[in-house]
Amino acid sequence: MTEKTSKSNYRPLKSTITLKKTMKRYYVLTGYHRYWGKPTGRLIAWVTSGAPIELLRAFKIHPAYPEQYAAIYSTNKATAQLCQVAEAAGYSQDLCSYARSNIGGVLRPDLAPLGGMPKPDLLVACNNICGTVLKWYEVLARHFNVPLLVLDTPFLTGDMTDQARNYVLEQLKGMIVELEKITRRTFDLKELERQMVLSRETTGLWKEARQYCQSRPSPLNAPDLFIHMAPIVVMRGTKAGCDYYRLFRDEVKERAALSQGAVENERIRLVWDNIAIWPKVFSFNKMFTERGACFVTDTYSGGWAMDHAPGTPLESLATTYTEVFLNRSPEFRTKQLVQLIKDYQADGFVMHSNRSCKPYSLVQEVIRRRVMKETGVPGLMIEADMADPRAYAEEPIRNRVQAFLETFD
Amino acid sequence: MMEWSESEEKNNSLSWLLEESALKGAKRKVRYPNHRFFGILCSYFPEELIIAFGLEPLRLLPDSANRTPAELPPFSCSLVRGILDMELRGQWEDLLGVGFVHTCDTMQCLSGIWDLAGKQKTVSMVPPVMLKAPGANRYYQEEVKSAWEQLKELIDYEPSVEELREAIRLSQRIRDKVQEIDELRGKLPSPLVSALLRAGQLMPKVEYEAALRDALPDLYQMVEESRCRARIMVTGAVLENDNLYSMIEDLGGRVVVDDTCTGFRHYSGPKREESDNPWYDLVKRYEDMPPCPCKNQSLNTRMTYLQDLASLGEVEGVIYIIRKYCEPHAWDAVPLVETLKESGIRTLVLELEGADVGGQERTRLQAFLESILENRSSAPEGSDQG
Repeated sequence: MTEKTSKSNYRPLKSTITLKKTMKRYYVLTGYHRYWGKPTGRLIAWVTSGAPIELLRAFKIHPAYPEQYAAIYSTNKATAQLCQVAEAAGYSQDLCSYARSNIGGVLRPDLAPLGGMPKPDLLVACNNICGTVLKWYEVLARHFNVPLLVLDTPFLTGDMTDQARNYVLEQLKGMIVELEKITRRTFDLKELERQMVLSRETTGLWKEARQYCQSRPSPLNAPDLFIHMAPIVVMRGTKAGCDYYRLFRDEVKERAALSQGAVENERIRLVWDNIAIWPKVFSFNKMFTERGACFVTDTYSGGWAMDHAPGTPLESLATTYTEVFLNRSPEFRTKQLVQLIKDYQADGFVMHSNRSCKPYSLVQEVIRRRVMKETGVPGLMIEADMADPRAYAEEPIRNRVQAFLETFD
Repeated sequence: MMEWSESEEKNNSLSWLLEESALKGAKRKVRYPNHRFFGILCSYFPEELIIAFGLEPLRLLPDSANRTPAELPPFSCSLVRGILDMELRGQWEDLLGVGFVHTCDTMQCLSGIWDLAGKQKTVSMVPPVMLKAPGANRYYQEEVKSAWEQLKELIDYEPSVEELREAIRLSQRIRDKVQEIDELRGKLPSPLVSALLRAGQLMPKVEYEAALRDALPDLYQMVEESRCRARIMVTGAVLENDNLYSMIEDLGGRVVVDDTCTGFRHYSGPKREESDNPWYDLVKRYEDMPPCPCKNQSLNTRMTYLQDLASLGEVEGVIYIIRKYCEPHAWDAVPLVETLKESGIRTLVLELEGADVGGQERTRLQAFLESILENRSSAPEGSDQG
């Protein structure tokens, strides 16, 4: 992280040291895959953040996440330059900045932090987060000339349907056949079950830690959630991931028991909606902390605090990964936000209208109106971009935030 | 625009079709008081379902590219902004409902916003994105049946299977006639063909079929060779008017191949024999139609399809239209340009706010078409494409 943090009103977590070690080990393993992958017969896949990683792990595939690297590019101030590389290659500035910076990093790894991503052996995309991932991964498949496996999880306009579940289930079975061919390994149901147990444990610990933020003051603030979500995305289903979140959970639990708030003199409790504004994650948040406002929970990193659905391992994967919140209707997301406001006793909410994420952002205004009506708390909308700093207008955002926070005086 | 009258219908079907295209359904209540319309968004909503219920599918098109309803952020495309704005202004109030089909993220969001902020009832369908994935056909059939149930509840009537079959046949007859017109495309003015095809998405189907049948002899009479014009393919998203086609024509081009959402792609695809399962037949048609960028039949199906279309049409230049903020088409621009370049076909990518073209586009189009025509005149003897 290159952005300077405000020390005055911010209580750092001790587990951050372990987080750094854990993630460093992951990046080193990923970055040097070419040295250990082949000898051990383990392939590397570029994977979308909502893909059923448990199945890939059962085939001993090492996952690397372009979205996560894109967030790192952004916090390291490399996104604008990488996006320009992609734009010069013909990709519109209106396309997702994660995708553009990833493509920029593929074309010019010398400009990318961590030296960019290692070349994939295969690509795995699940469209439960957006339709963009399909187009993005098609570009990558053509560029690298490697297999592309897509899990098509139908958008749920209401509740899960039998036909959607069966369709995803059939695709998972088809994916197993493909993975057997690609990895030359035989599918091992017991290994998948083992992965799912570990995955459940990891997400369970992440969920439990988050729930301690219902106490006053909240032991965590949004930047804590955004920074400490890294392992839940990339290490779900690993022992290292589980070990890390056990430590994290214990620290958050202790803070809650001791009434130690992430923000000193917590005065305003807020809920965050949408992906973080990575290039400004600390300076944006400082506008809130200096006025005693704390983001006690968020919808974004909460997306990985999911309960695994019942059924056989494949049935569970099919349902769990189709029911993720971004694959649900505005009606569902309204209820989710209302519930968070109630559970976390929030005084208001802030929505990031994110130019790079249409499925998250386009429906936010109707959700905002409805949530305000149902809860009576105010909701602020600010427009920015999750990774591209060129879309961040400092002064208008500051003015809007200040005016919003003044309503609580 | 003149009011429609019975005598005009009999005398000049071509004018009628052109008027319908220009009106974009705006006078449907006056012109077709005995018809009930049902709005649809995107070509993957099977029109046959609506026809089977005795309703008329109406493709919703915006009346302006400059609408900015507060419910949508400024970075959404003018198509959804315009259509939602019309809904909020009560422009669709006579419709029995609106059928949404999940194609792009934006369309998916519009469906959700409509449910929370709109007035009209909606019927939602989520076709597979991976059209050839295991289980995709069966899943699509179930989605179609679910839409059938939603329509049944909305209309309080259930058509027979034979009525569904008849709707499929009617749609196929229309596609056959459109195919016939498309084959004349290179010898007819570009905006004329574009308008005729759009009219079929905006007016009652039986009337459209009859009007096409009546207009075809006139069209054959209008046919004239145009090899001196630059042979152009237009591909891209929704175009709610013919301004681009007119400009191409004005500048010495001729659209000989069309692959726009509201153009020939809406009607194209392999013709199928009837099986004993109408649901399968219905879905198979949509599964096999040339995919839009939101759908995937295989990694390069769309690129290969467009490359073949260009080759078959002896196309000299491709104009790729991206509607501002339309991500799926923007994504495909790069590989498509590369693919066509490999085939030696020039491309021009135009980003438009809506369907209107102005001075900037005129300058770029002029340069593009001139370069094609100049290339022709400088080509050695015997290598002339036209």
